[in-house]
Amino acid sequence: MSGTFLNLRAAPAGRIDMTGVLPEALAGRGAGEIEKMALRVDGVPVALGDIFAVTAGEGDTLTIRPGDARLDGLGRDMRAGTLRVEGAAGHYLAQGMRGGELIVDGDAGDCAANGMRGGMLRIGGDAGDWLGAALIGDRAGMGGGVVAVAGNVGDRLGDRMRRGLVLVRGRAGAACGARMRAGTLVVAGGCGALAGFGLRRGSLILGRAPDAMPAGHGDAGVVTLAWLGLLRRHAEAILPGALPETPRMHRYMGDLAFGGKGEILVPACA
Amino acid sequence: MRLRREQTHSPCLREARVIVNGVFIDDTYAEAFGMKATRIVITAADMTWAKHAANAAFGFATSVIACGCEAGIERELAPEETPDGRPGVAGLLFAVSTKELTKQLERRVGQCVLTCPTTAVFAGCAGEETLPLGKNLRYFGDGWQMSKVVAGRRYWRIPVMDGEFLAEETTGLMRSVGGGNFLVLARSAAQALTACEAAVEAIARTPGAIAPFPGGVVRSGSKVGSKYKALPASTNDAFCPTLRGATKSELSPEVETVLEIVIDAVDDDAMKAAMRAGLDAVCAIGADGGIVRLSAGNYGGKLGQFHYRLREILA
Repeated sequence: MSGTFLNLRAAPAGRIDMTGVLPEALAGRGAGEIEKMALRVDGVPVALGDIFAVTAGEGDTLTIRPGDARLDGLGRDMRAGTLRVEGAAGHYLAQGMRGGELIVDGDAGDCAANGMRGGMLRIGGDAGDWLGAALIGDRAGMGGGVVAVAGNVGDRLGDRMRRGLVLVRGRAGAACGARMRAGTLVVAGGCGALAGFGLRRGSLILGRAPDAMPAGHGDAGVVTLAWLGLLRRHAEAILPGALPETPRMHRYMGDLAFGGKGEILVPACA
Repeated sequence: MRLRREQTHSPCLREARVIVNGVFIDDTYAEAFGMKATRIVITAADMTWAKHAANAAFGFATSVIACGCEAGIERELAPEETPDGRPGVAGLLFAVSTKELTKQLERRVGQCVLTCPTTAVFAGCAGEETLPLGKNLRYFGDGWQMSKVVAGRRYWRIPVMDGEFLAEETTGLMRSVGGGNFLVLARSAAQALTACEAAVEAIARTPGAIAPFPGGVVRSGSKVGSKYKALPASTNDAFCPTLRGATKSELSPEVETVLEIVIDAVDDDAMKAAMRAGLDAVCAIGADGGIVRLSAGNYGGKLGQFHYRLREILA
């Protein structure tokens, strides 16, 4: 193992804002310098060294061992390097991320990958609501990059998503892919109500058909789609088992009330 | 195979030549040209349909003189070698300019691949410069086309009557070599054909090279110019057996047929490897198989920047 390590000393009472604690920001810095960096706990400035024991190392890999603490804003605006979280992450994970790789071994809170533009986010557990959605005040959601979630995801997955790929091996909550503008969402375990509500363009690929297809989606019948073979090769390398094996899909076009150029794809046998 | 020098006494072959397996190797060179090229990958539900598309797209592409480009199937691809996991073929297209290559690529993919059931088309090479592949063909979708970015590369899904035509947005541009060649001089037409078929088979196994003429073989080798002002090229009378005695012939009496193999390759190394493979295959058949001589076409070295000396390639 190489790179820089941050080990939680003791979990503070409040939530810790980890904005600015990034591999590219810590690379080449000594432990003393890193310990002087400012964090905010419930909005109050605190020295990083008061919360974490720092082991500085070579390279652009940063490993954070968060213990029981609630670390928000991990990987916010990250552009390069590797950030590994050996545990759970709080809210606002990978917000505005533009490059590099962020790996969370455990669960992630709400609003992960909001406004993400590039890079790779891997979540080993479950993720909360609004994954890949828009940043507060923004018109469009995730605009690039890849998110892979091994577990389940909450509501509003990919809300107003603009570009990029989200792979979920588990199940998604309600309003999955709502108001999506483009990009690709893959949810192996199916999703809750209102899937693809307000969908303009983009693809929502579900491993299981929803209980009821939302009104506003027209049935385009069964088709074999060559691009799924292409996507499958890419997706299997990132998160095996997320994309349905068959390229033969039942296609629903919609939302017809919003232009109708998006699609919900469900395996023809499902 | 070893080369040895031998003095010949044929009236047309008075100088010292190198002989390989009884075949005279002329002390000459093939003159080749810098060309612009690209590789595309065509996939389909099965190999039959991938080949239908490829044969149509790379058909009528024997010579840049009148076809606009030279093209051919480079090799067949197994499903695990293609981007979408279906069987396919890799093909190479060569043209004299980027503009012409762009035009030919778009026309051929648009008319022969887009139209062919179950096919998809992908870039087969990278390059700092790119050529449009599905970039403009997407408009066939009349607004229903969808863009997908997978692993950083953009693809277009164009709705067609059997489902969708998938096309990568661009393909790479390669600086390549075209017009490598050699002439097979044989005692009979049948023996010349047998040797050329063996050569074309060997060239087909060489990566990055194609022999664009029908079956890889040309019978109408040409010289630059003509007695008719409108024609840029005309028959290579010095190698036409029926004109022996009437022109300054290059052919000795025992030569009944001359066939040419033209090669285009992605780079200088691929060209050398392909020429070597082809020449070796012909030499392996040798004098016992009716092969008399191997020669090559050139323009005095003034037109093409690549010269491939037969004896050096065979050395």
